[in-house]
Formats: sequence, C-alpha cells, structure tokens
Amino acid sequence: MNNAIRTENLVKRFRKVEALSGLDLTVPEGSIYAFVGPNGAGKTTAIKILMNIVGATRGRAEVLGLDSMQLAGRHFASIGYVSENQELPEWMRVDAFLAYLRPFYLTWDRTLENDLVSQFDLPLDRKLKDLSRGMRMKAALAGALAFHPKLMVLDEPFTGLDPLVRDELIQGLLERAEESTIFISSHDLAEVESFASHVGYLERGQLRFSEELTTLVDRFREVELTFDSPPALPARLPDTWMQLNSSAAVVRFVESRFDAEKTATEILRVFGETRGSAFAPMTLRSIFLTMAKDGTKLRAGRSDS
Amino acid sequence: MRQILHVFRKDVRRYWREAAVSMALLFVHGWNEVHSWYHEKPLEIWGFFASRFLSGLVIALVPIAWAFLFVRVIHAEPLVGDRQFWVTRPYEWKKLLAAKLLYALVFINIPMLVLQVYLLAKAGFNPLTYAFGLVWMQGLIAVSFLLPVAAVAVVTSSVIQVLLTTLVIAVYLIGMAVLSSQIPSSSFSFWVDGLQADIFIGAALAIVFLQYARRDTLKSRWLIGGLGVAIFLILVATPYRTLVEHEYPRTEAASPMQLTLLPGGASGEGPLPSRENDAEIQLPLSLSGIAPGTMVQVKGVLVEIEGPDGLRWDPGWNSPGLFLFPDAKATQIAFKLPKRMFERIRDLPVRIRLSFAFTLFRDTNQRAFVVPAGEFAMPGVGLCTTEGGYRQTIHCRVPLRRPTSLLVSADMSASTCPIAKGDLPADPGQMARNWTSSGDSDPAELGISPIQTVDFYLNYSNPSSQQIQPGICPASSLVLSNPKAVASNRTAVELDGVRVGDYQLKPVEIGGYGFAIRH
Repeated sequence: MNNAIRTENLVKRFRKVEALSGLDLTVPEGSIYAFVGPNGAGKTTAIKILMNIVGATRGRAEVLGLDSMQLAGRHFASIGYVSENQELPEWMRVDAFLAYLRPFYLTWDRTLENDLVSQFDLPLDRKLKDLSRGMRMKAALAGALAFHPKLMVLDEPFTGLDPLVRDELIQGLLERAEESTIFISSHDLAEVESFASHVGYLERGQLRFSEELTTLVDRFREVELTFDSPPALPARLPDTWMQLNSSAAVVRFVESRFDAEKTATEILRVFGETRGSAFAPMTLRSIFLTMAKDGTKLRAGRSDS
Repeated sequence: MRQILHVFRKDVRRYWREAAVSMALLFVHGWNEVHSWYHEKPLEIWGFFASRFLSGLVIALVPIAWAFLFVRVIHAEPLVGDRQFWVTRPYEWKKLLAAKLLYALVFINIPMLVLQVYLLAKAGFNPLTYAFGLVWMQGLIAVSFLLPVAAVAVVTSSVIQVLLTTLVIAVYLIGMAVLSSQIPSSSFSFWVDGLQADIFIGAALAIVFLQYARRDTLKSRWLIGGLGVAIFLILVATPYRTLVEHEYPRTEAASPMQLTLLPGGASGEGPLPSRENDAEIQLPLSLSGIAPGTMVQVKGVLVEIEGPDGLRWDPGWNSPGLFLFPDAKATQIAFKLPKRMFERIRDLPVRIRLSFAFTLFRDTNQRAFVVPAGEFAMPGVGLCTTEGGYRQTIHCRVPLRRPTSLLVSADMSASTCPIAKGDLPADPGQMARNWTSSGDSDPAELGISPIQTVDFYLNYSNPSSQQIQPGICPASSLVLSNPKAVASNRTAVELDGVRVGDYQLKPVEIGGYGFAIRH
C-alpha cells in the first residue's frame, strides 16, 4: 500500500522551543488517520509543515509522493485542507466563496457542491464573516470536498462545535471517505474514535504510537490480578506494563502488548500463581489517557533525575 | 491567464470603492491642474491660499489613495503569516503576482495615462507625439512609487503594519538626511545617489519576488534591514572628495575663467550674537576670461582656510549652483564659518583656497525669437505666454519634461515693455538670461501630470527707480540657444592675507530674516 503522507525525522524549532522532535509518521492511502495528542503537542505544526505553510528545521516530509517543500499551486488541486484557524475571505458570501474556488479546480463537481450545500444547510446569501463558527467550518469543508481531493487534511476541525454540527461534518466527510485519504488532527479522541481507521498519538513533538485502530484496541488490555495474599511487587516490571497499582490482594495494570498466551506467561514469571485474572478491552479514550499519564510520569521521572 | 483574470475580477469586486476614490481624486487633480495653467482672474489672497492648499492636498492624496489601494489589493492574498486560506489552494505565485500587477495597471496606470492624454490634449499638444514619453512616465511611477509600496505591502499583513513600517522608513530617511548634512562633500554626490537608487530598486524587486515565490518573510525583512545598512554604509564610506577629483580633473590648459578677490567692507565690531552658530561669509570675486559663446556652470565649490598656528578649516565640497557668462564682471562665493572659528580668525590674515568644480558649456543652436502677443509656441519648449500672472516671466506649459539645456537671452535695453514715466530704460547691452538645464535627457519627468510649467524670468533693475522691471513683452526679441557641455574640470584660486571679518554678512537685527552687507 502506498503512503499518502510520510515523514522522516521531522524536527521543527521555534527559537529554543522544539515543537517537533524527530517525527516519523506514515499515513497509508485510503485511511482515515486520526492524529491525536494534547494541546501543544505539535499537531498543527506538523500539519503546517506537511502543507508547506511553514518549513521544517530538519527532516523530510512527503505528501502524495512529493516533498512537502515542493508543494505549491497546482499540487493543491488534489489536496483539501481545512483548519480551525484558517483565515477565509470573510467578505465573500458563501455562494461567491464557492464560485470563486470553482475555477481553480478542474475536478470541481457542481453536483457534489450542491449536495454539500444542501447537506450542510449552508446559507448561500450570507457573508462568511456573519456565519457561526460551525457554519464557517462547513463552508470551508464544502470548499475542500467539492473537487474530490485525493487527500483531505483537517486540523482540529471540530474544536468548539456543538455535537450536532460535529456529526454533520463527520457525516459529510465519511460519505466521501472512499475516494480520499483523510488526515484529521484532534485533541479529543472521542471525536475521531468512531470513524478513524488509523490513529497516531503525538506528545511533546514525538509520536508515541501510530497504528491501525483495531490493532491498537486489540493490544491494550486492563489487567486485574487477584492473589490470596498481597503479592510482592518486583522492582523491575516488563516494559509493556503501564499504570501498575495494587491494593490488598489485587494488582491492576495496563498491558500495551496484549497477547493472551504471552501475557499469561509473563504474569506467571513476575508474580507466580494468581488466584484469578481478568483482561478487559479498553476504549480508545482510556488508552489515550493511560499513554498521557504514563508520558507525564516518565517526564516527571526524567526531570526528578 | 484564466487564473490571473479570475483573481483580478475578485479584486475588482472587492476593492471597487477604494478604486473609485482614487480615480475621483485623480479626476479632481486633473481639473486643478488645468486651472493652474491659467491666471485668468487674480484671486483674493485667501482664495489664492485656499486654492493652493486644496490643490496641494489633492496632489498629496492621489498617491496616498493609490498606495492604500495597492496595499489592500496585495493584502487580499497576504504573504505574511501562516493562516491564509489561499496558500493551500491551487494559486500559482506568478499568476497571483501578475493579477496584482494587472490590477495596478488597470486602476492606477491606465487612469493616469488617460488623464495624461487628456491633459496633453487640453494643453494644446498632440498626445500621439508623446506616446513614448507617456509610457516612460508609467514606468517611472511603477519603479519609484508602486514598487516601494509593493515591497512594504508584501512584508506586512495589515494597513496598520504598513503605516508603522512607513513611519520607521520616514524616521530612517530623516536620520540619513541629517547624517548626510554632517558629512563633508556628501551634498555633491550624484553618483552615490544613483548607486543608492539602483540598490534600492534591486532590493525592492528581490523582496517582492522572494515573498511571492517563497513567502519567506523573515528573509525579506532581513533584506530590508540590509538595504538600510547598505545605504548607510554607502553614505558614510563613499570617498566623496576622490570622486569629485576624478570627475573634475584639474585643468591642464589655462582655466576658462579668472577670479580675483575684491575688497570687502570694514571690519565689524564685537562678537557674533549668541543666537548665531555660524558667521555668513561672502567673498566677492571679479570675473573675467570666459570666452564669448561659452559659459560656465560651477557645480561645486571647496573653501579651505589656513590660518596661523596650523589652524585649518575645510568643510568639503558644496553645490552653489552658479552660472557664469562672458559678460559677467563679478560673482560671489558665500559660505558659513562656524562661530568659534570665525571668532578666532576674523581679524587675522588667513590663506583661503577656493576650488571650483565646473562644467564648461559652448552655446549652440542660437536662434532669434520675437515674442508674439497672446499664447505662442516657443521652439524646443512648449506653449507660452507673457500675459497674466507675473508680467516679468514667460510662462510656459511644457510637455513631459523641462528642456535639457535651454538658454533664453534678451537685451533689456531693447525691451518692448512700457516703463513708468520718469524711469529710464535699461543700460545698452544689459543682458538678462535664464538658463534651464537638467542632468538627464530622459523622455519624461516623474510625476502624475505630463505638463510641466516653466517660467523664464527675464527682467532688470530699473536704473532710476531700482524697481524690478519686466523685460519681456509682446514683440520683445529673444535669443534661444542650447548650451552643450564640452568639459568638466577643476580649478583653484589662492587668496592670501584675507581677513574674513571684512566679508561677514551681518544678520539683520529686526526679525532675523535676510542679511545685509556690513560696511
């Protein structure tokens, strides 16, 4: 499978602040890739580098097989980009905005445009500056979908939108997902959990994981072990165990590489015999929080040392 | 081309109000311009000043409106920042730039061209004859006005930022002007001005292209800073004196003019008033030796003073703008001596060395011309009149540019102007001259209007009443000629034992304006 987006050791510094620290990212063609991470993780910076809005300090990024630094003009005829903080020509009415965009794209689809206007219930006779935030995002999305882009890049498109508008936008996106790769950044997993096929988690400029959502959910388990008496906790735990805690004769942790057989063997090696064990699947949100807390703990440990 | 027109049409829709205002101002300017050519009715004094103020205001507002319009159009697709929607759309930078240039062409250059064609026709000139000059004027406006405006607009993202940048540039230019006034010989620096202009144009073009091609605002702003530093370095590091000496080599042959110092008045009493920082010195010189049919333009004068005890004063070259003719018997060199220096040497005999950088001209293409009544065509100039306004002038409307070198001479004793009863006519052979010359021979001058007004002042001081007497009236005879530069050289006059106190111009006590020679 080809990759729609690929970065290698991407670094971006703003004076002394390192926004991206060696980002290696791969977004397969046809995927709906959720690029998640807390605010300030570097998602928007990464996207701006991908769109050649800002330059990288070091490293390389490819978008649709082209070095992102070469992205210009005609290349954007197959890329749709929508961002929460994009400055639209607000003096234009919605109909004028769409009419203005039309001639830039050979693949502009008037029928699709009309469908999107209708689906998003866009008020054509109102100026962009007079629209609510949600309506403005819908207008931007309509302008980015109507030419059948090969790649849709959306930077925090749902921030601050009410659930109804968010669902409409997601619906609009999903109906066109088959023909595009969708790369969508968000700081809220719940927004993207329902429809993403792949997920990447960025924290402090580093990608903590990036994989298909199904395999991610498959490999994370909340493990609960019960013992006859409180067990002795070993000084060194397996690297794949996270958030370990114990109370009386119960030990809980998150296994980040769950494999029924291997995990059971590892538990036996560490604790010996247990009275009982339970392995519960986790929601993406729980995985996200576990990773975030683990990262915080790691950082705290580093700064303490 | 499709994209260029598409973006252009969008800008037309967006900025029609700004464009309409700029064109309305241009129209008003054209109307004012036409009325300024004629002095049909003398205005009341308040009316005169009100009309001058309003026309001056419009002249200032037209470029401001253009600049505002062009800045707004460029800012429609801002090049600064990382949130613009257009950068992730299929815009091609060359086409975007072309669309902006097309806008400037259609809403700035073409209206200006239309006005210029109208003004030429209204002034009595066939516009087709001056087509090349009109195109040249468009180019001048583009390079000297629109290009700098564009260079500022592409590194800013709002009108406020443009105003702040303009303010910084204005402060820089004032600082440079002050600095230039402190650097000896820098006022005599035509070559440096040219070099600075070339660097400025090159940098402005680079900034515009860099921003459109790469949107590298940081680099572009560094380029602006570098331009400021380069111009500063050129100003302070230029060896002005060496350049003058190179451009005006010491004449090997005998100097085409001989100058000797004439006696000054009696020495003054007491120190200079405390409010004066300088003493104004004027050295009267007798003049001879200028061959008939030639004339000398003194482009630079260097005054060096050596006093006792190694005292030395040398302010560098200055441009006096002196024109010397064969029949002139005397001239004068004026300069300001710092008060402290003056107080030290005012009564001491000092040695003064006067160096002159001059260009010798030979009078060519002499032709007689009798001034007709009413409006008349003056060969090589334009359409002129002696009526209305100030009667001692020939008031001319000139297409595109002032004459490169035109000398108008008249024998005042043959003037046909009436003189008041009891007044005497001018002395026989008393000549009045007016020499219009400029350093370039470009097809047109920078400006909005293609019509320049040139006044030839030809008058004399009436020997009996000492009043200024108009010398040119209908039927007066003139000699027109075109002096041609034949050599540029340097010569020097050594003056020994000069007491500068004898040549001081005393400040006028009342009001502090003007000077009177102290006797």
